[in-house]
Amino acid sequence: MKTGKDVVLASGLCKTFEIGDVKVEALKDVNLGVARGEFTVISGPSGSGKTTLLNIIGGIDKPTSGKIVVFGKDLGVRDEDFLANFRCQNVGFVFQSYNLVSTLSVAENVAFPMEWARKPENHIKEWVEELLKVVGLQHRADHFPFQLSGGEQQRVAFARALANDPPLLLVDEPTGNLDSKTSIKIVEILQKLKGDGKTVIVATHDERIIQLADQKLYLEDGELVSLNE
Amino acid sequence: MSETSFPMNDLLRRKLQTSLVVVSLTLCVASTLFLLLFGDKMGFGISLMVEDRLTAGLSTVFSRFIMFIGFLVFVVGAVVMSFMGFVMMSQRARDIGLMKAAGCPNDLIFGYFMTELLIVTFVGCFLGVILGTLADFASTGLLNGFGLQISQKPINFWLVFLVFALFFALALIFGAKPILDTTKVEPAKAISPMYNFGLSKEPGFKVISKFGFTFKMALRSLFRRRSATTRIVLCLATVFILVTVAVAGGVIADQTTKSWIEKAVGRDVVLIAHQEMCDQYELLLSKFCEAKAELQFNYTKEEYLIPESLLNQLRSISGIVGIDARLVAKAHIREVPGYVFDPETGATTSVGESREGESLIVGIEPGNVLSEWFLDGEFLRESQQEEAMIGDSLAQKMFSKPLIQTVILFNRSFDVVGVCLDPINNGNVTYVTLKALQNVTGVSKPNIIMVRVDPTNREETLNQIRANVSAISSEFEVFELNEVLGKNLGFLDYIWSTIMFLPLFSLAAASLCLIGYVMLAITEQRQEFGVLRAVGAKPRTVVKIVSGQSLVVLLSSCAAGIAFGIIITLLILVPEPLVTIYTVIEIAGWLLTALAATFILSLYPAIKFAKKPILEIMA
Repeated sequence: MKTGKDVVLASGLCKTFEIGDVKVEALKDVNLGVARGEFTVISGPSGSGKTTLLNIIGGIDKPTSGKIVVFGKDLGVRDEDFLANFRCQNVGFVFQSYNLVSTLSVAENVAFPMEWARKPENHIKEWVEELLKVVGLQHRADHFPFQLSGGEQQRVAFARALANDPPLLLVDEPTGNLDSKTSIKIVEILQKLKGDGKTVIVATHDERIIQLADQKLYLEDGELVSLNE
Repeated sequence: MSETSFPMNDLLRRKLQTSLVVVSLTLCVASTLFLLLFGDKMGFGISLMVEDRLTAGLSTVFSRFIMFIGFLVFVVGAVVMSFMGFVMMSQRARDIGLMKAAGCPNDLIFGYFMTELLIVTFVGCFLGVILGTLADFASTGLLNGFGLQISQKPINFWLVFLVFALFFALALIFGAKPILDTTKVEPAKAISPMYNFGLSKEPGFKVISKFGFTFKMALRSLFRRRSATTRIVLCLATVFILVTVAVAGGVIADQTTKSWIEKAVGRDVVLIAHQEMCDQYELLLSKFCEAKAELQFNYTKEEYLIPESLLNQLRSISGIVGIDARLVAKAHIREVPGYVFDPETGATTSVGESREGESLIVGIEPGNVLSEWFLDGEFLRESQQEEAMIGDSLAQKMFSKPLIQTVILFNRSFDVVGVCLDPINNGNVTYVTLKALQNVTGVSKPNIIMVRVDPTNREETLNQIRANVSAISSEFEVFELNEVLGKNLGFLDYIWSTIMFLPLFSLAAASLCLIGYVMLAITEQRQEFGVLRAVGAKPRTVVKIVSGQSLVVLLSSCAAGIAFGIIITLLILVPEPLVTIYTVIEIAGWLLTALAATFILSLYPAIKFAKKPILEIMA
């Protein structure tokens, strides 16, 4: 394992799902390190375990065995309340299927992680406006998710992920459901995040995003290979 | 895939969902059937039992209550059943949309899901009927074991069949509606979350931001799920009308009727009379709660009459605050028709049938009387010797419009000026002035004296009275009416507490309904809750959102239900209700307990759901 990779340290990660009598090994002895400000891309075929790896790094899921340490915290042994706070403060998550809260407007979707972090009301208001400007959706602030296109929903998901200005951003197939024209806007947002020095881990097949990577990883049948080497 | 294998497989694969719906339907049918069967014994049985024991006025109040509660119990069961049918099939809407999108013909889809509905509804109703009947048998046996005498009647199969058929039909009709609705819409719409659970409209209101996101999400989801929310509010409101009528009505009616009896008999009143007269008077008062047969009794025997010297001695005792001398007799009475003038037609109509019968006749001094009756009409006046006031049972049995009629007793007619609620001789009594009765009977002295004792100096005063009475004659007795009053009030307590016991089961059914609604809310918001958790919400945030929804539903239905229940009770069921601050506190206590219990029970699915791993929620 490389030194200086202090944001994410994964060693010997294994994840097995049991579906009836069948056991599926989603991750096999995965070792991974991500440094501060590093732009990491994980590519690989569908079903190779990319989403599972992101879920474990983000504290949404726990490994069957192995160790996952993010910002010095061993997430495998922490309880749900700690993980909830940890995700709220440290991790921004962009899901493949957007996953916006349909009962909240665009602005409210971006604001609610800040509510949980107990940010002041003025700060929330200003920061929501700023983030919507960044993703180019300030004119859609009062709309509801079902009134937006897929690309717009994905951009709102980016804004929400950045709400608490988390030091780590996990992005799962951000352009997977979008047409090429819409995808360009997403790539632009990722470029900007890289330029701002954010630590970003993206699971994607998109060549335009892979080209942004400082660290390129390839996952196949649960096994991780570094493409840099 | 055959039409029968798909529904069976689908039901078996959704083990949790299927079993929850079957259990809910079973409990709903069981609780309603149990209420009707058991209520037949506890409620209607008591109604018949007390017919000859309560005075006519009280019987009317009681019967109205029982009939109303029986009606509400059935309505609650029907509403709950229809809600369950709707909830079950609403949860299938997305699947129907997916099958349509995959090209499955409408009639086949309708066949699949109707078969599922039929199977689940039949099993639920069938098990409910068995469980309800068994619960009735068990409860009757149990209460008999505790010493209550409830008859173990043979099962009323028609009632059982009626409940089964009606509830089966209701669940089918209301369950079929979401299937039909979904099969009619285009596939893209059917699979859309905007359509599922009635999400077809944009939230049309903005919540003030200070309420916070939790409450905002809870409230918006409620409005978005408009169809289901309306149904559950309606369902719970009906249940709360039932609970309020039973609890608030029960408490108010209990206190009101007890107050009527207490005022009519008198608190801290002692009876002074000949021993035999005392015994007879006690029997006459006890007819109200113990149904003892009236003995052949000669009330006007010379030895029963109170000497003037005793009255004078009693007047000199300082602890006595009131003396009410009465002459009690028995007479054959006859109803005299009255006449009603119709100002429009100018015609005069005769009212009354010249009925005859026996009545207790009591002569009183209107200015000294210690009783306060619940009265329709006017009280007797000392100056009017030809006026009579009759008991409520007598009024109902022997008179058509008593207040415009006349009664003949001892061959003299008296105008009926008032009808009073009186437990003595179970309301079969006629009051006239003491002088008038003395005139017509020729008996110059009273045969009972009732005195009210100052409660602060009770024992000393009673001792003085006893000493004076025994000095006059050893055959005279001092009898405390508090004991028989206590028995009468205890009897009223028993019948009202029986009524209040019935809605407990409806409350249980309502709690199940609310649990069903909470499950629907969770199913609908499952993905969103997963996202909230993934983004940093704690499990308790999810519980807060769901409990917020549950609370809004519960409070709105509760407010409507309680308001209607109180109106029904005060305007329809109890005439001249007695509502004190203690009554309000007691009712509020009962209703708050019911509300809290229902609310806590409804949180179970949310707490269970919140404990699930995020990925399982989002899957």
